[in-house]
Amino acid sequence: MRKSRLFVVLSLSFLLAGILAAGAFAAEKVFTIAYNEEPQTSDMQMTTSCYMIPMNVYDRLIECVTTAPGKSALVPGLATKWEVSKDGKVYTFYLRKGVKFHNGEELTAQDVVYTFDRMLDPKTKALNTDILDFVLGAKDRMEGKAASTAGLKALDRYTVRITLEKPFVPFLAIMASPQASILNEKFTRPLRNKYGLTAQATCGTGPFILKEWVLNDHHTMVANPNYFRGRPQIDKFVVKIVTDPETMRMLFESGEIDLFDCDFAMSQIPYFTSHPKWGKQTVSGPRVGIYYYTFNQAIKPFDNVKVRKAFQMAVDRKLILQKMFYNHGQLENGVMPRGLIHYNPNQEKIEYNPEKAKKLLAEAGYPNGVDMEIALVASTGSQWQKMSEIVQAMVAKAGFRVTLKQMDEAAFYATRKEGKLPMYTNKWSADFNDPDNFFYTFFGPKGTVARSYNNISPEVFAALEKGRSETDFAKRGKLYADLEKKIVIDQAAWLPMFSLKHIYVVQPRVKKFVVPWNGWSDFPIYETRVE
Amino acid sequence: MLKFILKRLLISIPILIGVTVIIFFLLNVVPGDPVALMMKEHISVDVVARVRAQMHLDDPAIVRYFRFLAGALRGDLGESYKLNRPVTSLILNAFPNTFVLALWAALFAWVVGIPAGILSAVKKYSLPDNLFMGFSLLGVSMPVFWSALLFQYVFAVKLRWLPVAGFEDWRYVIMPAIVLGWSSAGIIARLTRSSLLEVMRNDYIRTARAKGLHELPVIFGHALKNSLLPVVTVMAIQVAGLLAGAVITESVFGIPGVGRIAVNAIQARDMPLLQGAVLFETTLVILGNLAADILYAFLDPRIKAA
Repeated sequence: MRKSRLFVVLSLSFLLAGILAAGAFAAEKVFTIAYNEEPQTSDMQMTTSCYMIPMNVYDRLIECVTTAPGKSALVPGLATKWEVSKDGKVYTFYLRKGVKFHNGEELTAQDVVYTFDRMLDPKTKALNTDILDFVLGAKDRMEGKAASTAGLKALDRYTVRITLEKPFVPFLAIMASPQASILNEKFTRPLRNKYGLTAQATCGTGPFILKEWVLNDHHTMVANPNYFRGRPQIDKFVVKIVTDPETMRMLFESGEIDLFDCDFAMSQIPYFTSHPKWGKQTVSGPRVGIYYYTFNQAIKPFDNVKVRKAFQMAVDRKLILQKMFYNHGQLENGVMPRGLIHYNPNQEKIEYNPEKAKKLLAEAGYPNGVDMEIALVASTGSQWQKMSEIVQAMVAKAGFRVTLKQMDEAAFYATRKEGKLPMYTNKWSADFNDPDNFFYTFFGPKGTVARSYNNISPEVFAALEKGRSETDFAKRGKLYADLEKKIVIDQAAWLPMFSLKHIYVVQPRVKKFVVPWNGWSDFPIYETRVE
Repeated sequence: MLKFILKRLLISIPILIGVTVIIFFLLNVVPGDPVALMMKEHISVDVVARVRAQMHLDDPAIVRYFRFLAGALRGDLGESYKLNRPVTSLILNAFPNTFVLALWAALFAWVVGIPAGILSAVKKYSLPDNLFMGFSLLGVSMPVFWSALLFQYVFAVKLRWLPVAGFEDWRYVIMPAIVLGWSSAGIIARLTRSSLLEVMRNDYIRTARAKGLHELPVIFGHALKNSLLPVVTVMAIQVAGLLAGAVITESVFGIPGVGRIAVNAIQARDMPLLQGAVLFETTLVILGNLAADILYAFLDPRIKAA
């Protein structure tokens, strides 16, 4: 009897020890992806792209989260609540108490003031000042005329007041963009312009801590055990820098990475979606973004609205969507894509009618057709080249003789900035969920030149300003719907193409992956689950 | 010999200055704005103008060039426009990776190329000769990006013997070293073969055979030493070339080396980084050529005497 008891006790002890050992040695949950560009820095004030680190290492006052495919909502982040004054100029944010930065410091209102003032400080040489240039005193600060920003104030340890020069409705949405991530003053200030250049020089409050950064190779983030929403399920997040799309695909197929972002190699979509194994592993979601062609009104023949309308009608967008993008998207007819607030499903449709286009071109004074150019960046993916070759063949029926002009990327952007780039194609995905992010970007007084549209329209500029300050939701929606009709139908200032789904392929061990609300290739992985 | 080395090193100074002038001139002739390129789709003319002024990009080209040259003479190659980091540290951090890759590629080229060349020469027009020469012709002719993709597909995706890309441990070096070294191996094999065949026709080889020496001592004791002279020269130059940047191999296999830095710098119009990378690589090529000359002098005393 005694022997059997001893046996039971020993067995249970071994079992317990086994369980404990298994817990201690449980495999690390690692999520590995490939990204096609080396981030310049983890300092989100100093870069306009590659936000994978900021989206996982930092938090914002407000966060924009995916609530359903193609839908998003602004939810409390580092601020638990906020108030907006009646005149729409004063925003008061109440910070979450007890939030710790990765260096152990507690988040305070002074950190928020420091973060935004640092962005506007000319010594920082920040690239993202656009998100704050409407704050009271921002211009003086940027021009070096003031030692601090008048509109930024810490009312107490956990309350921040931001005063704007004039009402700016998209402000809350902008506060949720990665550029508005919050830094720790004590950590950041002494590092000056060295902040964000290494893993050791990076500090946020986010779910992951940047642990290692090997330039041009990979960077590794590890779970923040003290994250205020709870420790992330993933222990380690590795981002490999792989510039070659073929290599990226092979890394995925050999199991070395957990996620393949089809945006980095669109031509692989049919392979993956029709593959017996990978077809079941695709995850997709709508993108709050739009593919488009531009018209440069400073270059003939697009100074004539009839020519622009003719070109709009000469492109069979549906066919391109079907044949080139395998119908993974929907046609767009305006400036605002699906998923954007104030999206207008009743926007007038652009018809495909090459015969009518030919007549319009003749009416515009080009009965024998007209020569024109489409500029392409030689080094970027072949999708733009292929799409433009298809467009070239399509519009030829209406009389447009298109020359595809290959340009070096640096020359492309330098010429575009001067307002001298001929027609080009690109895509834009929302930085923040507001029509201003599309309208003002493309058709604002500076954007229209710097992006080589040259649609100089005082009427549009005035409406855009009004849209920024219109606080009545319904009136604002009507304003943008009218503006959309004016820009796309009346002025024919651009050719909207379509919004595409963003398709990813994941390894079977990835049990949950949330497509970011805007369809970016940069995303937070806090919700991601792996086996 | 010391005088010879010093003379060669002094000649290299105007070469290096000339290279910086050419690079600077070329980058100023072609249109491109590094700040506009950094901002890409998020362009803002106000921000571009302000940041350009802060980075002194609006200064006259001649001022910027001499600022760079003055810094370079002090060992300071400036700061990368795009990466905001000192160019010297970026290059020195990347160089060990390029060095490891070049070293293994060179070793592969020598270990495979020299025996293949010897065997081909000894067994002239035989099956092994044809096989080895076919192998070397393939190595010389096949573009590196193609052989790299083939290797990745077969050995990483299908057989899963090796990792596809990256640079973490010794397993990551095998494929890129073979791919990169294959072309050099081909050149060395063909050169060894032709050189050995030429030497074997000499009278002293006939004499060695006539006095009854076995074929192996004839080849390794008499012929090989003399036939390797041009091969060693090529080997030294090849090492310099491999160190100067295996641009495509580094890109396809994701190796964070100097070649990849140079390509990124060209694409980003990152003048300080590109100038630094080119200056560094030019120095390596000059040193490689110098090493080849010195080696040659050691191997062939007649040259030293001349």
